[in-house]
Amino acid sequence: MKITIPHMGNVYIAAKILFDSLGIDYVIPPPNNKEALMLGSKYSPEEICLPFKLMIGNYIAGIEKGADTVLLVSSCGPCRFGEYAGLQAKILRQLGYNIEFIVIDPVKSTGFREFFNRIGKVGAESKKNNISRLNSIFTAYTAMSLMDEIEMMAHELAGYEKNKGECRRLLSSCKKDVFSSNDPANALRILRSYRNKLKHLSTDSKRNPLKVAIMGEIYTVIDPFPNLHIEDLLMKAGVSTYRKLTPSWWVRDTLLKPLGLNSRHLLEASNEFLPHYIGGHARECIGEAVLASRNKLDGAIQIFPMGCMPEIVSKSILPAISRKKNLPVLSLVVDEMTGEAGYMTRIEAFLDLLERRRENVRVGN
Amino acid sequence: MRVGIPKGLLYCKYHPFFKTFFGELGADIVTSGDTNKNIMDMGVKSCVDEACLPIKIYHGHVCSIIDKCDYLVIPRIMSVRRHEYICPKFCGLPEMINHSIQGLPEITFEPLYMQNDSQIYKWCLSAGSVVTGRKSKIKEAFELALKAQKRHSTGINIPGENLTVMLAGHPYIIYDGFLNMGIVKKLRSRKIGIITEEFASKSILESQINKLTKRPFWTFQRNLYGAAAAFYHQQIINGIIYLSSFACGIDSVIVELIRFRVGEFPLLVLKLDEHTGEAGVDTRIEAFIDMLERRSFHENHHTPYGKRLYSSENPV
Ligand code: SF4
Ligand code: SF4
Repeated sequence: MKITIPHMGNVYIAAKILFDSLGIDYVIPPPNNKEALMLGSKYSPEEICLPFKLMIGNYIAGIEKGADTVLLVSSCGPCRFGEYAGLQAKILRQLGYNIEFIVIDPVKSTGFREFFNRIGKVGAESKKNNISRLNSIFTAYTAMSLMDEIEMMAHELAGYEKNKGECRRLLSSCKKDVFSSNDPANALRILRSYRNKLKHLSTDSKRNPLKVAIMGEIYTVIDPFPNLHIEDLLMKAGVSTYRKLTPSWWVRDTLLKPLGLNSRHLLEASNEFLPHYIGGHARECIGEAVLASRNKLDGAIQIFPMGCMPEIVSKSILPAISRKKNLPVLSLVVDEMTGEAGYMTRIEAFLDLLERRRENVRVGN
Repeated sequence: MRVGIPKGLLYCKYHPFFKTFFGELGADIVTSGDTNKNIMDMGVKSCVDEACLPIKIYHGHVCSIIDKCDYLVIPRIMSVRRHEYICPKFCGLPEMINHSIQGLPEITFEPLYMQNDSQIYKWCLSAGSVVTGRKSKIKEAFELALKAQKRHSTGINIPGENLTVMLAGHPYIIYDGFLNMGIVKKLRSRKIGIITEEFASKSILESQINKLTKRPFWTFQRNLYGAAAAFYHQQIINGIIYLSSFACGIDSVIVELIRFRVGEFPLLVLKLDEHTGEAGVDTRIEAFIDMLERRSFHENHHTPYGKRLYSSENPV
């Protein structure tokens, strides 16, 4: 068995560490790129959401490098994500690929036995004993959290750094270094050392950079390809960005949801505008907008793929939040046609607007 | 008190319930008119761009009665069947309306779960309390409303001369003659038989659903996929016309599942939005029917050697 996984931001780093440490054979497809998008759009239903298409592109790249099994984490909420695996498997089989799908669904919908059965399928390949398997999962989760933490720090510190471009450099060399290591223990060491470097980054505390929240549909905010590397772009512009949705957040949220202990903070903040769970991460998006204004950020950017049902609902609510909470919001809808030029212009215009608002406050307008 | 009930989305399925319930509470019922150009335009103007046409039209219905009522019923239908959902946009409907349309009277926010009577009653207690303070009256109205609802059914089953198509799609598209540009009349004028999901045999539908790798997520998926698969399996239709809306995430999945199930069988998917021109739709329907006619001709006319003539025509 040779496993491949679909991409979503830095998830591949934790996945690699997991497979390395379990001693399972795997292929990590190349990061999301034009090729994946092209293949994905060609073979997917036209109106399906963008993440679905990119994932198809990832699988094909993985299969071509010898993968015979796809490992996918799914969900059962009122959104399309839960239907992904079934359709994707059908599409790949129709294309003549003989591939197995192992879908990890939440316990609630499949029952305990099926859940462990599926996890067991992956584990069976590993020669390790149960304790070291648990240990592998723990190591992978630690790596995922560290990576998220590093990214968060870099995104915020980019607004304060003394040596221009240092945060971006650190972030990209961190990803490169950790990915080239095949030893999980070493990978963790690398991550910790980068976290340390960021902790001791020389900053200019007198700077007062623009602060912007990044929110919206989870895949398109976490993965840089569909959003045309917006966070990198904002780092370059010296803007501090804040994003709550990360892979490790998702893991915690999914595990804690059955207990009702997940993301209390975000959900409480969303209550005034969207008190019910509607699917996807619409409530989180609304909650983040409210928190952004409470935390005195300058603005918020919502990103979602064309046709994303829950985020269309959030988009219709955001103008009200913007008015009542005095928070400028920019909504960016991305799809395979998103043109770089128009997209960049809108982001620049938005940053200009945020700057001007500050000026106005300063001159007492 | 004047209670407004917009004639959009699942109104076509559940109007007897809502009208009877609020009527029995002593309210005057105000409904919007049938969908027309004006209603659609108001909806398009007030709703977010990215939404699907049925949601935009619903916004239009709300706009058209906004100053004629003191209380608006915007049902937040979360689910009508256990473990199944309707659509994220239904779950967030009151918020969409509330934040997109100015000058609203009081509206209903309470979620409505319709899996069983006691959950529906819970909604009634909350929604009815605005009209009356008397719980006994609410209970009475609720029971009458349930009865009225039971007497109501939807569905089209008209036999044709020699061809029958399944007309598939969300009820608010199938039963809104403006939204679907009078498709029922168009098919009838060519003497095509029509059957809708409501007439699928429950047991066959169920057995088709059970063959899916995963149980359906959405009730629309159960109904539409299940019925299409059942009709196809029983060979009682010659083709499927699926009326869909652009930006409907749910249809994008259902249509694909149907495609995988029926393979080369004729399937016409018509995606509608506010810019869809009627002429284009007509042409596609005509071409589809012509194709069905040719197919059935071939099927009924075997060559002298007993082989079927092969028709290489692609489904439209
Ligand atoms: S949340 Fe949006 S992107 Fe995700 S499955 Fe649903 S519609 Fe698709
Ligand atoms: S099911 Fe489709 S058409 Fe109906 S409201 Fe949802 S997205 Fe719109």
